[in-house]
Amino acid sequence: MVRIIDAKGLACPVPVILTKKALEQQDDVTVIVDDDVAVGNIKRLGAKLGRAINIEMKEGGVFHIHLSRITEAGKEPVAEKDTNALDYESCGPGPLIVVISSDRMGRGDDELGYVLIRSFIHTLLTLNPLPDTIIFYNTGVKLAVRDSEVLDDLKQLEEAGTSILVCGTCTNYFGISDTLDVGCISNMYDITSIMAGAGRLITP
Amino acid sequence: MNQVKEFHVALFTSVSYALRAEKILKKAGIPCRLIPVPRHISSDCGVCLRFSPDYRKQIVDTLAGKVDVSDIRPL
Repeated sequence: MVRIIDAKGLACPVPVILTKKALEQQDDVTVIVDDDVAVGNIKRLGAKLGRAINIEMKEGGVFHIHLSRITEAGKEPVAEKDTNALDYESCGPGPLIVVISSDRMGRGDDELGYVLIRSFIHTLLTLNPLPDTIIFYNTGVKLAVRDSEVLDDLKQLEEAGTSILVCGTCTNYFGISDTLDVGCISNMYDITSIMAGAGRLITP
Repeated sequence: MNQVKEFHVALFTSVSYALRAEKILKKAGIPCRLIPVPRHISSDCGVCLRFSPDYRKQIVDTLAGKVDVSDIRPL
């Protein structure tokens, strides 16, 4: 049985969240979306969860994304094994959410705080499993825009399936909405509900 | 992706040396990144500069006489 989710007209990250929930209950899911950003995000989610992905482009900018479980043994994509991987025991169910509320880590010295936040984001890449979602707000959003020194790391995380949400009110406040270079603009409803649904929530 | 590319790291004896070196190299337009010192490499300070081996000579020359690099190692 294929479960069909109609996510047309829904803004990122809602289609991704609906898809993720459906995939937790069902092996094969078809998602209907009309948003390019959602297509990319769902593709990444599928890759992260080891699903075969088939995208059909329909009329009017509508996409049907078919996600199905890969059954052949040995075909299941496994996260790249790396000797430097920071394995950890998950202490409970539910997604791991990282909240970056500042472009500094800790308080006291700004220069040091900036060194630490860059190190922290770089180290997130070695976590195994990777965080499910990273949320940026307040001055934290400055890390997700063009010329940010952690952009490469964030793009790698996103490619590996971590969803990156950036507070739109914040990018607007700083006048940097046009220069967002990773993740997608989000709002307080999504941010609050994702934080509320976290299994573990890290705020560096 | 980090794993497929080859990188070297420059180690320093203090965080402020690493920061000074980063500033000098950025100013000189030499690409490098401040990262935590990998766990299999030990150093007195917790951060190091990662760069492509292509820039090794340029980095050594640029920092010569300005910042002491304690070691350069393949990542």
